Amino acid sequence: MTVHIRTQEEIAARVKALEALMIEKGIMTTAAIDRLAEIYENEVGPQLGAAVVAKAWTDPEFKARLVANATAACAEMGIGGLQGEDMVAVENTDTVHNVITCTLCSCYPWPVLGLPPNWYKGPEYRARIVREPRKVLREDFGFDVPDSVEVRVWDSSSEMRYWVIPVRPAGTEGLDEKALAALVTRDSMIGTGAPKAP
Amino acid sequence: MGYRQDATELGDARRRVEALVSGMPGESAPFEQPWELRAFAMAVAAYHAGQYEWSEFQLSLIDSIKRWEAGDGGEPWSYYEHWLTALETVLAGNGALSDADLDDATKAVLATPPNKGHHEAHREPVAVDPAR
Repeated sequence: MTVHIRTQEEIAARVKALEALMIEKGIMTTAAIDRLAEIYENEVGPQLGAAVVAKAWTDPEFKARLVANATAACAEMGIGGLQGEDMVAVENTDTVHNVITCTLCSCYPWPVLGLPPNWYKGPEYRARIVREPRKVLREDFGFDVPDSVEVRVWDSSSEMRYWVIPVRPAGTEGLDEKALAALVTRDSMIGTGAPKAP
Repeated sequence: MGYRQDATELGDARRRVEALVSGMPGESAPFEQPWELRAFAMAVAAYHAGQYEWSEFQLSLIDSIKRWEAGDGGEPWSYYEHWLTALETVLAGNGALSDADLDDATKAVLATPPNKGHHEAHREPVAVDPAR
């Protein structure tokens, strides 16, 4: 069987045709699609997760609730939605470093991290991070995890979506939540990077 | 929604996020082509409209990716093509979409490019509102 590789023009036309058919059948409206596109492109993003992490760093009771039930703790801050129903926040410590993936597709906690970057969805990261996590972190992300630290790789699925609470950087004792949130990067919540230094 | 912020805060947050993602290995924007964002939003819209359970869509997406992984590698990797295939599959599965209708509508779109007629010079005003 020969594989017909579609051009971008053909795919774009198919998406446009699909949208027209769905609107014609009354299944959705252009306004609804526009609004969802805007929300996910511009409004939902890792700045929301960063705010949650900063609160956890400054409020031990909140952190305990976050570790116990991430979805409920995020809801306290008005953060939640599709792909955020069963979230688990795994906490990094001096002896354990966590990193997330989805081996089957691209499950990812949208409400706190936004949409995943392309490399997270790609077949290479999904396969290699499981086989050789330390090497992938070092070679692909320039992130060295000391040998004394255990690396745990968590596989998200539609039933449970993981994300990482990074270790609070040293020298941040005087910073408030807002300043701390600015240090929390998307990759530090995926586990492929560290938070920024103050 | 609880996470909506005022325009200034949102702008600040976006600039901060853009600063964070620049310098990442490879490019990091979630969408490379406009159709990808459109297909993404349509799948969420159809879910909100009660067309399917989100888990059905996810299983369909996993299926499409698995078939690609089991293939001979002739097709280049495109995450959102799998997304589109999954969306078409679940909509066809519940009777909301016929493949033949979609094929016909796609051909019609391809036959009417958005810039049709743009290679011709238009030498007269396209509209005139006469003096009164």
